[in-house]
Amino acid sequence: MTKIFFATDIHGSDICWNKFLNAGKFYGVDVLILGGDMTGKAVVPFIHQGGNNYKVTLLEQEFSITNEDELTDMKKRVRSRGYYPYLTTPDEIAELEKDRERVHRIFVQEVLKVVQQWMDLADKKLDGTDMKVYCSPGNDDMDEVDEIVRSSRRVLLVEGLVTPLDSHHEMIASGWSNRTPWDTHREEDEDQLKVRYEAMISKLKDPRNAVFNIHVPPYKSGLDEAPELDKDLRPVLAGQALKPVGSTALREVIEKYQPLLSLHGHIHEGRGATRIGRTLCINPGSMYEQGALLGAIVALGKNKIENYVLTTG
Amino acid sequence: MTNLFVRKATGLVRSWSVFDAFVYAFFSINLITLGLYSFSQMYYFEGGMINALVISAIFIFFEVVVYAGLIAVMPRSGGDYVWQSRILGGAVGFILAVTGWWFILWLWVPLYGDMFRHIVLVPLLGILGAKDVALWFAGTENGSFVASLITLAIVSVFIALGMKTYARIQKFSFYGGMLGLLIVIVLFLTGSNAAFKSGLDANATALFGAQPGVYDATVQLGTDAGAITPFSGGALLAIFLVMPYMVFFNLWPNWGATLYGEVRGATDFKRNVTGMGWALGATTLLGILLLYSIGRTIGWDFYVQAGAAWWNYVWGYTDVAPALPVWPYPALFAAFLTSNKLIQFVVVALMSLWWFGWCGTVFLSSTRVIFAAAFDRLLPEKVAEVDGRTGTPINALLLMVVPSIIVAFMFSYNIASFQSLTLCSTLVIAVTYLGTTISAIILPYVKPDLYKASPIAKYNILGIPLITVAGVIFGGFLVFLLYQWILDPNALYGIGIKNTSSVIYMLSMYVLAAIIYFGFKSYRKRSGIDMDKVQAEIPAE
Repeated sequence: MTKIFFATDIHGSDICWNKFLNAGKFYGVDVLILGGDMTGKAVVPFIHQGGNNYKVTLLEQEFSITNEDELTDMKKRVRSRGYYPYLTTPDEIAELEKDRERVHRIFVQEVLKVVQQWMDLADKKLDGTDMKVYCSPGNDDMDEVDEIVRSSRRVLLVEGLVTPLDSHHEMIASGWSNRTPWDTHREEDEDQLKVRYEAMISKLKDPRNAVFNIHVPPYKSGLDEAPELDKDLRPVLAGQALKPVGSTALREVIEKYQPLLSLHGHIHEGRGATRIGRTLCINPGSMYEQGALLGAIVALGKNKIENYVLTTG
Repeated sequence: MTNLFVRKATGLVRSWSVFDAFVYAFFSINLITLGLYSFSQMYYFEGGMINALVISAIFIFFEVVVYAGLIAVMPRSGGDYVWQSRILGGAVGFILAVTGWWFILWLWVPLYGDMFRHIVLVPLLGILGAKDVALWFAGTENGSFVASLITLAIVSVFIALGMKTYARIQKFSFYGGMLGLLIVIVLFLTGSNAAFKSGLDANATALFGAQPGVYDATVQLGTDAGAITPFSGGALLAIFLVMPYMVFFNLWPNWGATLYGEVRGATDFKRNVTGMGWALGATTLLGILLLYSIGRTIGWDFYVQAGAAWWNYVWGYTDVAPALPVWPYPALFAAFLTSNKLIQFVVVALMSLWWFGWCGTVFLSSTRVIFAAAFDRLLPEKVAEVDGRTGTPINALLLMVVPSIIVAFMFSYNIASFQSLTLCSTLVIAVTYLGTTISAIILPYVKPDLYKASPIAKYNILGIPLITVAGVIFGGFLVFLLYQWILDPNALYGIGIKNTSSVIYMLSMYVLAAIIYFGFKSYRKRSGIDMDKVQAEIPAE
């Protein structure tokens, strides 16, 4: 029996990454799998005011930093929400407001810096252990992330690959999603997704005993319920109106091949587990902003799931 | 100047409409269903109704701040269950969440059914000329039970339709219900007491077969029943003693709070406070206006006496049946000010939307808690199954419907004095709120990093976090309510230690919740899952 721990959508949270690396020992599992969307969504400027003074606005609250300790504390606070602190000046901010391309470059620079730190930390923490760590960046993760993950000694990039988990179980993985209103880095039409999935599935020895680690959840699985948005991306009816936004192509291949297990993320509020035929589908959800690592522990037996539970770490 | 750069990423949405949040909260503290139902029962208090309405709303505003604060710190997390689990521990979180958001809703079903027959079925059937059916629903145990069964059927349909459709039904009901209320208030403000007396006597006789002289007979019966509650005024203690009854109506502006979505800044925190706070304020003001307009035309004393005459008989304190053989529904009284049947029907039909726009709330939150518990493996996986064709959570619905039928049966036929348990419905949820409030009070101290990184970290009063201050005030209010309900030193509420049925009923719910929690925890442990670890925080260093 192989025990896996799956978490996803940690969006740049240092706390969640640390917890993820510690989860193997904490829960006593053999394999750690990180679904997609490792990277954060916002850069927070620390605007230099002269001397040791900075002005920072976090969650619409303005903070005045007056010394090194406060600066360190505020950087930690920003990072705890998965955002990236960026030391800058009023002049640079004025330039950035006019230059979106430069903002993008800063984003890439800050995101990759943190991903590199995470890989270094993983290599350091997991050296000398048997823990296997697999990762497949999600639709919110820029392409450049792959190269850094690939350079890690202990974290294996599994996007598009068939990966043996043990002698009985193989895993396919992809962070690509169907189209979203945000035009993110890794999204494509359903027919292209289907080609992507079929290409991986065709290489599996036994699809019925496989794990599908696919970032987007299957359509109408209950794991893909997101607030309905109006044309201005505003939730309608106070967020009460939910609609399924998962992938129809994924649902088709799950129904067709009936793998043992499918693991998903993407929709943070879609936490749950459900069955499509014999396939156990899990989306552990995400509460990365609060530093809580939501996950799932699954015990894989031969031709069956021995046990599973969703965790709140 | 730019203070944040965001990139293209999934889920970066704009804020939801405050008005939409307002509508949901406004319907949760439903003036026509919960409000009028409880006002009619509160006939024996010495404290003023308006004073209690306003003062309780002030305390409940702090509840709004507590819940908006928790949403800001832990958004989209599942509400009371997750907040309490993370701060007070898994056992407390589970037991208080399933009792307050699931088990006690079984008792709410016959209460929703009771309001359904009095607000929707009886007046509409009477106006349509189906006198005997109307009276069967109004005054028989079978009628009461069937009304609960119809309620269950309607609510189950709403669950099957899903939240998205129900949210639209709610919005339609809001506009229709408000139009109905406007007509009712206008009828009251333009009518006269003499017109009401003659309208009541004529219509009560014609529609419901009452004996002539309904008005005077009701006054007499109400006076004999001890109807004394004043419109306003009274000593402060007397006013405070009204509030444990009043909160049956207005303790719920937070009912949909956990749905309001991600809070990314202080602005969103304010939007939550504003949405729920305005709902509370607007409902309180509307309540004052409606009660004033009722008093102006019907006469305040008559309104209280009519409630006394009805409930004194229903509760078994007298064998003398009320002269008016239907519940004294103010919207029906307003309709009696006109002899036009079409207008009467339209007024009551529009007012019935207050019930239809609200009734779905009885199960929607419960199914969420049942799902959350199943995902945490504290219930069997089967209970979270959804029918593939209709999307209906069949098993979760059965866990609501089947016990509700049993409780509704006991309520309708008053087995083991179940009709005396009305306020237990509020008490048990108040205990759950108290658990959440304690979580809010200690949150900044037990989870300082989480709190400091939240949008409410800057809100302090004399250096103490706002969420703690608001929690202490609202928690104090809840402790007062619980003291009055449980010990009931003035014998005003009929539940608590003086009512054996209520003690057994409530305790058995907590015991059942504890058995489920510890039973499943032990079962999972034997199959290799340590629930303590599953809910424990992983070291982050």
